[in-house]
Amino acid sequence: MIGTNRRKLLVASAVLVTGALTLSAIPAQAFSVRNEVGVTSNSIKLGITLPMTGAASPGYNKIPGAMKAYFDYVNANGGVNGRKITLVVKDDAYTPTASVQATNELILQDKVFAMVGALGTANNKAVAALVNPGRRGIPDLFVNTGFSGFADKKAYPTTFSLFPSYIMEAKIMSMYIKENFPGKKLGLLYQADDFGRDALAGFKTGGVTFDVTVPYAPLSQATPTTPPTWITKLQAGGAEVVVLFGVSSATAAALGAAYAMKYHPQWILGSVGGDATAIKLAGVPAPLFTGVQTASFLPAPADTTDEYVKLFQTINTKYNPGATFDNNILAGMNTAFVTVQAIAAAGKNLTRKGLITAIETKGSTFASAGLTPMAPTATSHTGYDGYWFGTYDGTATLKPNGGVYTVYTTDSGAGAVAKSTYKRPAMPVNGLPTN
Amino acid sequence: MFTFIDTLLIGLTSGAVYSLMAIALVLVWRSTRVVNFAQAGQALLSTYIGYECMGRFHSFWIALALAMILGAGVSALIEMLFMRTLFKRNTGPIAGVAPIIATLGLLGIIRGGIGIFMGGKETIIRPPLSNVGFTISGHTFALSPFKLVILSAVLIMMILLSLIFTKTNIGLALRASAYAPEIARLAGVKVDAIRTLGWAIAGAAGAAAGMLQTPNGTGALSPDSLEFSLLLVFGFIAAVIGGLESLVGAVIGGLLLGLVLAIVLMYVNATLLFMTAFVLLIVVLLVRPQGIMGKKAGRRA
Amino acid sequence: MHKLIHSNIGRLLFFGALGCLLFLAGNRVDELRVYQGATLAMFVVAISSIILLTGYSGQVSLGHGALLAIGGYSAVLARNYWSLPIWLCFAVAVLATAAAGSVLGTAAARLSGPYLAGTTLALAVGLPSIANQFSFLGGEQGLLFDVGAPPASLGADFSPYKWYFWIASSAALIALWWLQNILRSRYGRTWRAVRGNEVAAELAGIHVGKAKTLAFTLSAGLAGLAGALLAMTIGTVSPSAFPLTLSFSLLTGAVLSGVTTLPGVMIGAVTLVATPEIANAISHRLGDSGAVTSNLPGLLVSALLILVVMLVPNGPVEQLRSIRTRRSVSTSR
Repeated sequence: MIGTNRRKLLVASAVLVTGALTLSAIPAQAFSVRNEVGVTSNSIKLGITLPMTGAASPGYNKIPGAMKAYFDYVNANGGVNGRKITLVVKDDAYTPTASVQATNELILQDKVFAMVGALGTANNKAVAALVNPGRRGIPDLFVNTGFSGFADKKAYPTTFSLFPSYIMEAKIMSMYIKENFPGKKLGLLYQADDFGRDALAGFKTGGVTFDVTVPYAPLSQATPTTPPTWITKLQAGGAEVVVLFGVSSATAAALGAAYAMKYHPQWILGSVGGDATAIKLAGVPAPLFTGVQTASFLPAPADTTDEYVKLFQTINTKYNPGATFDNNILAGMNTAFVTVQAIAAAGKNLTRKGLITAIETKGSTFASAGLTPMAPTATSHTGYDGYWFGTYDGTATLKPNGGVYTVYTTDSGAGAVAKSTYKRPAMPVNGLPTN
Repeated sequence: MFTFIDTLLIGLTSGAVYSLMAIALVLVWRSTRVVNFAQAGQALLSTYIGYECMGRFHSFWIALALAMILGAGVSALIEMLFMRTLFKRNTGPIAGVAPIIATLGLLGIIRGGIGIFMGGKETIIRPPLSNVGFTISGHTFALSPFKLVILSAVLIMMILLSLIFTKTNIGLALRASAYAPEIARLAGVKVDAIRTLGWAIAGAAGAAAGMLQTPNGTGALSPDSLEFSLLLVFGFIAAVIGGLESLVGAVIGGLLLGLVLAIVLMYVNATLLFMTAFVLLIVVLLVRPQGIMGKKAGRRA
Repeated sequence: MHKLIHSNIGRLLFFGALGCLLFLAGNRVDELRVYQGATLAMFVVAISSIILLTGYSGQVSLGHGALLAIGGYSAVLARNYWSLPIWLCFAVAVLATAAAGSVLGTAAARLSGPYLAGTTLALAVGLPSIANQFSFLGGEQGLLFDVGAPPASLGADFSPYKWYFWIASSAALIALWWLQNILRSRYGRTWRAVRGNEVAAELAGIHVGKAKTLAFTLSAGLAGLAGALLAMTIGTVSPSAFPLTLSFSLLTGAVLSGVTTLPGVMIGAVTLVATPEIANAISHRLGDSGAVTSNLPGLLVSALLILVVMLVPNGPVEQLRSIRTRRSVSTSR
């Protein structure tokens, strides 16, 4: 009796297996070979994966809104060569599994022309290994990570970096510390994973040794035990200047705990965790920011004398209502801007191959809000290569030190750190790149 | 010397937060033999309620009280709507797993719901008392007025609840309904009402944990606040160390966990937080499975 | 047919036929579906591991993700450091995880109910962070896992995804076939006796602790296989590939399948793979608001979980069976 049912169930489950697979075959469409995937005469479809939910999402989840706002602005002005841009956003909650899944959907189901601004080092590595946009010839533009390896064209043929690497940041910071805080006791608080380790390598090359180093396990900043122990350690070691290479929630936890224990060193925040809005959102009131220094490669988000910032703020008000303009919005819009610039440079007959060649050959002359040039070549897909330092005032507004952006540049290898002589070209008329 | 004192203070004050969560878990366990994984979600929901109340009444203390009352109500509702049906209906191998799974499902629903309605909003709870440590002879210690409030809240709750359980009939009825509901019913105990009461008190304790920990940390509250899932895991570890049966055990377990973690982070390796908690749990389970305060009845559910 | 399916050869034939059907299906669908098919097969193995543990030996694991991590990492290490052929890497994953499982199982046999649940939960939180302590485990970024290109004899058009699908489906079929056999054997009966009534089983001469440890070990072996398959389908292992949510969703899949019925395993796996897509479709209708899109998948799965536990606690398959049984009993009367 039970046996018969077992058999029926087994058969039923077999039917389910095949049924599920054959049913799913129905929406499968025939491949279109003639036109480039994701491009028609009047549209371009792009895709992005990033954490929209989960512990890593605060701050980053504002990026797609900013990108869409800029694309909407471009579309309202006739698009790029008559093509309007749409952006398909997929949440990966910062897990590589989900990134691979989402990228597969973007490429195979939504049939996007290119990926743009995909976030996370481990995530992009997983996607590169498996979905392998490189082998498929799908451009993977301006990935949102500071891992230096993505610039390597051999390993990642269609991937382009935009942000300077963590190694560059640490090297430049080393020089900045040696110049500005000679003889002071130095402390370093860093996330004990590849992000922090990349920074450690950079500081080693930069020739800075720290008197106190405090690593922390990722996510451990959320327990009540952890942040006070950082401060106790730094305090016991007598650190007068503390460099912090962590995410914004860790920065907030550290500033809060230091305040509670009346510990006031000179803070220097890495660019990842140095965004004021994100730290404020994580609970640190603005006055606690006074005198905190950080590094950036884009203009300060409150600097309305900058033509890009001014334009982006107007676009944000009109096309992204309700979102506070901050570093994440600025970075998102800039990524969208560089994307439009690249697509425009690829010309009227838009192909994936053409787009990649356009960035490789013309990338170093692209207009963008960045205060250093991008440095892509036919062999290396490096993005920006420099940083400037600024200080927060009592209203949590970042101002460049000395009132002007003093930009330092370097590379991810053993190259020296030098003061940049780059003059950013004027913004294209109305912020609409045409070639 | 200062460093060592600070380490102990950090351990005790952070341990107090784990204790609060452990108390909530122990209460539910004692009244219905369920480990309530939705407790993290309930604490999150109650803290959001508290946040809204603060906007209305501009007082942390009123908000705390309201969050505890409403948190108790939510918890009682969950017991009445979901758990009661589950206990009555389920038999067979699923019976042991179903309540755990149901509470996990509830956790997901609460988090998802809060994510949809409250996601992306700036929600910050400021502490009502200073968070800055006391300064004695030039050194600022890792103990602030607000942390003292948390410590005393834990002690008051422990003493008050222990009194209720040992000096009143409610405590006896709670135990009876958990262990032998049929016999309790025959003895005239209103089993269902008593179980709901157990859940309600636990809901209030969880709400207090959420409301006190949020401003104790950075003050920021979000649906994705990791604090709450970590609170659950650490609270559970504390409860098991204490024996899962005893309120005093839960408090001692929480303080011990906090102390061990602080000492390891300070003097052994700053990255070993999760490993240490896990190893401590395993050691307790292997060496003294009935927990510090547990009786030797063995660990059978 | 009835007798056939009960014999070992019959089961072999049955799974062989199932394999042929899958092979045909794999050729008909597009690349995305083939990829989802591979993920589906991974979930089938992982969920049957939980079914074996919970449904047949009455133990709870909230931390299966940690076991999957052990499997995934051992497969990758075997591949990267010893360059073993891919099938041997899977074998290493199974053996290594089973070994870890037997240690855990020995501890777990002493615990019951909430203690086991909590310990496995802590394991799922604690274990992946080990990878951050040792550099040969690749840290937060993890290690790449390259199973190699499909054999040239399959032709140039043969996509890697189809290759993954073939590997994963064959692994799932073999695992299910093996599990069916085990459950029909002496061990299966022992577990059912333990699950039914521990005291009675002990009186009948069954060593309860041993039976539980064995179940945990075998379940861990299956979880290890699932972990290796997961590593293959995402091309990498890293701590963040095995989050707590993975453990929870596997448990969800098992409950949806009905923890006591292996044949229902497809239901849970299909639900897990399909939910994000369904949620996407719904939120698209609702106007693609960011908050809804991001939270709907989790909400749907959780709601489904509650509904199943409340309405059909033993799973849809078991429910169907008990209705059938009742009906056939009443007609025979």
